[in-house]
Amino acid sequence: MSESYPHSTSSASSSGDSDGWVDADHGNGEDSSDESPVIISLVDDRVFTDAAAMLDYCRDKTGLDFLGVRDRLGLDFHGMVKLINFVRQRVHEGKEVPKDITQADLADDSLLKPVLEDDALILCLDDLPQTASPDKQESSPQVDDLLKKNAELQAELENLTKQFSNYREAVQKTLDDRWQANDEPEDAPPQKTKEKDDYYFESYAYNDIHETMLKDKVRTDAYRDFIYDNKDLFAGKTVLDIGCGTGILSMFCAKAGAARVIAVDRSDILDKARENVFQNKLDKVITCLKGRIEDVTLPVAQVDIIVSEWMGYALLYEAMLPSVLYARDRYLAPNGLLVPSHANMWIAPVSDSEYIADHVTFWRDVYGFDMRAMQDSIYADARAVTLPSRSVCGEPCMFRFLDLHTVRTEDLVFSAPWTSKVAAVTTASEKNSLVDGFLVWFDMFFARSRVEPSIKEDSTALGWCQEDKERRVGFTTGPFSTETHWRQVLFLVDKQTKKMCTLGDAEGQNVGGVIEYVTAEGHARGLNIKISWAVGEGEKQDQMWLLH
Amino acid sequence: MPDAMDIEVAEQRLKAMEHSEQHYFNSYNHHGIHEEMLKDEVRTRSYMNAIVQNKHLFKDKVVLDVGCGTAILSMFAVRAGAKHVIGVDMSTIIFKAREIVKVNGMEDKITLIQGKMEEIELPFPKVDIIISEWMGYFLLYESMLDTVLYARDKFLEKDGLIFPDKATIFVAGIEDGDYKDEKIGFWNDVYGFDYSPLKETALSEPLVDVVEVKAVVTDPTAVLTLDLYTCKTSDLAFSCPFDLVARRDDFIHALVAWFDIEFSACHKPIRFSTGPHTKYTHWKQTVFYLKDVLTVEQGEKIECSLHNRPNEKNKRDLDIKIEYRLNTQDPRRAAEGTCLYKMC
Repeated sequence: MSESYPHSTSSASSSGDSDGWVDADHGNGEDSSDESPVIISLVDDRVFTDAAAMLDYCRDKTGLDFLGVRDRLGLDFHGMVKLINFVRQRVHEGKEVPKDITQADLADDSLLKPVLEDDALILCLDDLPQTASPDKQESSPQVDDLLKKNAELQAELENLTKQFSNYREAVQKTLDDRWQANDEPEDAPPQKTKEKDDYYFESYAYNDIHETMLKDKVRTDAYRDFIYDNKDLFAGKTVLDIGCGTGILSMFCAKAGAARVIAVDRSDILDKARENVFQNKLDKVITCLKGRIEDVTLPVAQVDIIVSEWMGYALLYEAMLPSVLYARDRYLAPNGLLVPSHANMWIAPVSDSEYIADHVTFWRDVYGFDMRAMQDSIYADARAVTLPSRSVCGEPCMFRFLDLHTVRTEDLVFSAPWTSKVAAVTTASEKNSLVDGFLVWFDMFFARSRVEPSIKEDSTALGWCQEDKERRVGFTTGPFSTETHWRQVLFLVDKQTKKMCTLGDAEGQNVGGVIEYVTAEGHARGLNIKISWAVGEGEKQDQMWLLH
Repeated sequence: MPDAMDIEVAEQRLKAMEHSEQHYFNSYNHHGIHEEMLKDEVRTRSYMNAIVQNKHLFKDKVVLDVGCGTAILSMFAVRAGAKHVIGVDMSTIIFKAREIVKVNGMEDKITLIQGKMEEIELPFPKVDIIISEWMGYFLLYESMLDTVLYARDKFLEKDGLIFPDKATIFVAGIEDGDYKDEKIGFWNDVYGFDYSPLKETALSEPLVDVVEVKAVVTDPTAVLTLDLYTCKTSDLAFSCPFDLVARRDDFIHALVAWFDIEFSACHKPIRFSTGPHTKYTHWKQTVFYLKDVLTVEQGEKIECSLHNRPNEKNKRDLDIKIEYRLNTQDPRRAAEGTCLYKMC
C-alpha cells in the first residue's frame, strides 16, 4: 500500500540532493536517521542540522552575530529565547534586524512565545558554545551558573515540547560527538530544501474559510453528534485527527473522553489550533503537530481511531483522502475505526434554464458585445454550485461506494457505470427544456464499527439515518437537503459540439453511461472527470471536465 | 477590480493553502471574476457612459486600457470613435479578449498585449487617453493604481486624459451590533469551545461586506482624495486625522470605508459611489471593527486617524491603523484606542 502511494517518500526534495546531506553531515552513518533536527535559519528559510553551522551562516550572510549578541548582552537562557524570537519576528514581518540589538529590544516577555513552532534552535541552545572564546569555556563561574539555570529551564521547556525530545537527544548526541572530535563547526550542506508551499510564512490562516466550515452545521454537527453520542467508543482511546484545522474535531474527541488526541495539519492554522486547545485546557490530552501526516513523527506507534474531515468537492477533489489512507495503513490499530467510515457518490441529469440564462446565455450580449468566447471554459471546467432540487430531472444514481476501512489509493482513480431514469414532465415549457448537464454530490456515513452491514452501496445517508434516528449519523451534500459548503458539482454539456435532447423527448427513458475520475496532469489536487452518456438507444457521447 | 494579479495571487495562495482551506476557494473561477465585474452595472454602466457619451473626446484618439480584462472598456472606446486602442493585461484572459474583439469586428482597432506595463512596448509612443478600471476593495487593496501611474508617466501625452481621474475614500461610524456578534462574537463559543485566538485574527481582518445605510451613525468624512493626473505612488501610503460627528444617539461598533469615482473630463461629469447609501457594487464596503463599543450622543465628536501603507513584504497587502478617541463630557463613556488591521 505505502509503496503505491506517491507521497510516502517524505524527503522528496526539489533540489534533488535529498540523500546527499545526511551522508555529508554524518559520515559514519550512525546518525543518519530521520531524527536529525531541522534548524531553520534565523534570516531566511534555509535549514540546517547543526545550530552552530546555522549561526555561522547567518553571521556570514547578514552580519547577525547571535553568539556575539548573546555575550555582549550577557543573555541567559530566557534572553536567548527572546533573542531568537525577536529576530524571527523581525524576519517574519520582513523588517530589518537592527545591527545593535539592545536589552530594550528584548524586554518584552511576549518574546518568550515561540515565533516558529517547535523551534529546534531553542532546543539546542544549551548545546551552543558557551562563550565566543573557547578558552574560557570551563573556567567561568558565571558560565556554571548559566549552565545550571539552563538546565532548570530546559526541563521546563521539555515539558512543553515533549514530542520533540527525540529530536533534542539527536541534537545533543550529534553536537557532543562533533565537539569531542574537536571539529570546527562547518556549514552544513543545505538540508532537504523545503518545498515552497511548505514555507511557514507563506500560507495564511484565513479565518473566513474556517468560519465557513465551522458554520456549516451539516458538517460540524455530524462530527459532533457522532463523537458525543458514542462516547463509549472514544473513552480512553488514542485518536488521530488529520487536517485538524482549528482543532474542533480533536476537541470533540477530547471532550468525549479520548485519552490522547494527536492533531495534525500542515497549515499555519495549526498554531491557532494549538492556542484553541490551550485556551480550552485540553492541552494535556491533545498534541498538535504541524506538518504533513507523511512527514511528522507521531508520539505513538498506533492509534485506535482516525477522525478526519478530508472531503473535497465531488468528494475527491484535492486528493486529501490518500493522506488519510496512508495514516490508516501506518498507524491505525487492526481493529481501529475511521470516522467517518463510508462514503458514496451520486450523479443525476439536470435541467436549469435559469442557470443557463444567467451564466451561459449572458455572454451572447454584454453591453451590446458578443462575448461568447467566454463560454468555452464554462464547459471545460466543472463548477461548484448549489442548484435547487427542481433542477434534477432524473433519478439520482449511486456510482461509487467507498468503505474507508478497506479502500485503496488506486481505487480513487476509477470508471463506473451510471444510469438514471429521466422524470416525467407535464408542462409544455418543461417538455421543451433541454437536459443541460449532470450534477454530482456525495453522502457520508459514520458507522460505529468497521463492519456495518446496514450500509448498502446505494444507501442514501439520510435514508440510512432515518432507519435508526437515535443512533445513526450521516449527511448528504446533495440538492435535496440543507446546503453545505461543498455544494454540488455541475458538469455542463457543451451544446456547441454535443447534442442534448429535450425533457419531452427523454422523459421516461434511461440516460446513462460511464463516469471516470482521473488525476489531472499538472494539477496536483485537481481532477479530470469524464462522463459519457446516451439517452435510451440514442447516440453515445462524452465530455471531459476539469475540477481545479 | 483588477483581474490579472487577483487571479495569480489567488492561485499562488491556493497552492499554499491547506486542504481545509482549499475547497472553499475552489470556486475561484477565472471567468467568475469577469462575470461578476461585467454584471456590476454601476461599474460597467458608469464606464460605458463616461466613454460612449463623450465621443468628442475619444474621436480619432489613441487610447490605452490598463488591465483590460475582457476588453469591454477597449470596445467602448472604439464605439466612441477612438482611432486605436491598446489593451494591456497580465492575465491569460487576454486570449479570450482577443477572440471577443475579433468576433465583434474590432481587431483592426484594438491591439491586445499580454504582459506587465513596465516591460512591454506599445505600438504608439504616446497615448491621448488612459482608461482603466484599477480599483480594489477599500480602493487600494490589490489595486492596479501603481500600474496606471506608471503608464501615465511613461505613455500619456502632456494634455492627455485619464478615465477616471478622481478617487476619494470616505469613512463613517456604524452601528453593527448584530453582525459584529455574528462575525466576532462567534469565536467566543464555537460548539462550546473558546475560540478567542481566532477572534483576534477576525478583528484584524477588515470585512468586505454590504452595510445598510441605516447602520450609518455619523457623517461621512473623506480621508483620501486622489487626483490621478498628479498623484504619486508614494501617496498610497497616507495618514489622515479626521473627525466623525454623531448624527444620533447610538452605539458605534465599527468604521465603514468606501470610495467614490469620478470621470471629470466628461462633458457632464460622471460619478459613481460604492457607499452604503447607493446601489450595490461588487466592491461592497469595507468594515473595520473596533475593539470597544462607543456609546455616542448626537453631536459628539470622535477624533480619529487612519494610517494606511502597503505591507513592506508584500506591497499588494495593506497595513492599516485606526486610532479613535470619543470626546465626551461623560467620563463613563469616554473611550480611546488603536486598532491594527491587515488586508491580505
